[in-house]
Amino acid sequence: MRAIDSRNTVPAVAADDRRRWFRGQAFWLVAPALLLLVICLGLPLAIVTLRSFSEPQWGWQNYAWFFGTPVNLTVLQRTFAISAWVTLVCLIAGYPYAYVMTAVGPKMRLVLILCVLVPFWVSGVVRTLAWVILLQDSGVINSVIRAVGLGPVKLIRTQTGVVIGMAQVLLPFMILPLYSVMKTIDLRLMQAARSLGASPARAFAQVYLPLSLPGVYAGAIIVFILALGFYITPALLGGPRSTMLSTLIQNQVLSLLNWGRGGAMGVVLLIATFVLLALAAPLSRQPHKTGSRR
Amino acid sequence: MKTKIGHVAALGLLMITTAALAQSKPVAGEVAEGSLKGKTLTFVSYGGIYQDGQIAALKEFVDKSGVTLLSDGPTEISKLQAQVESGNVTWDVVDTGDFPPYVYCGKLFQKLDFSKIDTSNIPEGQISECSVPAMNYGVVLMYNTEKYKDNPPKSWKDFFDIEKFPGSRALEGSGDLSGGMIEQALLAAGGSVENMTVADIDKAIEKVRSLGPDTIFWKTGADSQQLAESGEADMIAMWTGRAMTAVKNGAKYTPAWQDWLVVMDQMTIPMGVKDPDAAHALINAYVGKSAQETLAKTTSYTPIHKDAKPEVDEITAAFMTNTPDKLKLGYQQNIKFWVENFEVANEKWNALMAGN
Repeated sequence: MRAIDSRNTVPAVAADDRRRWFRGQAFWLVAPALLLLVICLGLPLAIVTLRSFSEPQWGWQNYAWFFGTPVNLTVLQRTFAISAWVTLVCLIAGYPYAYVMTAVGPKMRLVLILCVLVPFWVSGVVRTLAWVILLQDSGVINSVIRAVGLGPVKLIRTQTGVVIGMAQVLLPFMILPLYSVMKTIDLRLMQAARSLGASPARAFAQVYLPLSLPGVYAGAIIVFILALGFYITPALLGGPRSTMLSTLIQNQVLSLLNWGRGGAMGVVLLIATFVLLALAAPLSRQPHKTGSRR
Repeated sequence: MKTKIGHVAALGLLMITTAALAQSKPVAGEVAEGSLKGKTLTFVSYGGIYQDGQIAALKEFVDKSGVTLLSDGPTEISKLQAQVESGNVTWDVVDTGDFPPYVYCGKLFQKLDFSKIDTSNIPEGQISECSVPAMNYGVVLMYNTEKYKDNPPKSWKDFFDIEKFPGSRALEGSGDLSGGMIEQALLAAGGSVENMTVADIDKAIEKVRSLGPDTIFWKTGADSQQLAESGEADMIAMWTGRAMTAVKNGAKYTPAWQDWLVVMDQMTIPMGVKDPDAAHALINAYVGKSAQETLAKTTSYTPIHKDAKPEVDEITAAFMTNTPDKLKLGYQQNIKFWVENFEVANEKWNALMAGN
């Protein structure tokens, strides 16, 4: 308990002063990042949005087309479903991994961090092509499955294959936020819970898990949003039934030069993402409340 | 003294006429010594071995003309559009796929001045107002010889017949429209390619869909080669270059050349380039005999100069598409129809690609 409280023991007056100073200066600290965002993200986004309304003529035509074409809706829904699966797989694989990172010594921790980061430094295309070789019908994974006698399993060009490939690419984005939160959790809290008679499962569910939730939300949101925009991995590991929205956008813009429709698709994806995040926001506030109540 | 002046005058006259002749009648592959000194051209293509080979083919042109040749890529029509619209065109000569020079002729690509390019040795029917071919290749039906031992498929009709020829199929799904493939599917569905209509596109795509849910749509050339080398699909519609490489690597596949689909890349000059004359000179050099031989030798694509005789090995030669017997079997898509119906055809094809 003391470990947590000690973070808030700065005298109130000093904190107030600091806040006042900060309010004046903070803008300049974020200015470079803000400028970059406006130029590299805000401006292009504004142009794309504008073109979605202005090409070929002014109006809602591109949006009418988007929602009037069944394939777009199927793919939009699929894009969210695949991203949700990827987030879940990353969470299941990443949570225990991040926990182990907090529990081992510094040397072992370095090894574990490297294991997460090294694949991260390899080009996405190379990694995806490696997955092609692993997942294909005559590939390594299927050879093992066949040797065990379970028959060949269709992995490549299926949604399963796409989810596996994407989850591996995105795993670091789940593990790192989880780890950064978990390392601040005082493990003695678990001992305390146990000494008060909680079973290990209960101690985990009622003490550790709630404290780690901010990391879960941070990781899940980053992974989910990054997954929505994935292009190379679903294109190479998937088949027609795992095409994601980015591929359709690419087709509109690069093959058909239809910036209006491509823009409309991008805007729809963006708004759908915002809506989803807004719905998820109340969930992420929960652990804070329990935290302050304690 | 008099004779000497006459001499000089005659020599001067001769030089002027030669220059004038060179001006009026270009010869493929030739460029005047030092004529582009101090100038810079940016050549854009699809990268990899292909673009390396093209640069190698242009080496003579660079050495002789004194031009500085820059290489950029990959070709993306949307990027080109952005350059043309903003009036800042930095791509001087662009290698594109089959359709763009037809679809965007006069909009993104300028009409070529054929008094500056010697096209006399290019195979017939391959030149358009805005393009000359960059090379030829084909999409050919490759089948697994171990699977179809005594009863091999002979044509696209067999490719689309899963009852007589059971097994998995793979065809191009890179996103670019293959008009030739749709036409073959239409023929296999019992349709006719004379006077095609938009309804025929649906009929053809239905035929492709009838191949079943296990049909593979490969995304890249490397992808298709991998399919052949690992034996993942029993019949594969493949680019000839990739088919050749797969066979060289030991894939047990053989081509059925009947109605192989003729495909070409195109050489184009964007609207608004700073020096159109220099760009034309590059293309004129590129279509020359020795340049085309170098290109074929380095990339194993088929040269577009009738007399080009590249020194290549046996397997490469077997996949060159410019021999008389193969030219006879080749199938030319109805470019006019596909250009006119570019958008609707793309939409229908992309819906198939997106699993609908």
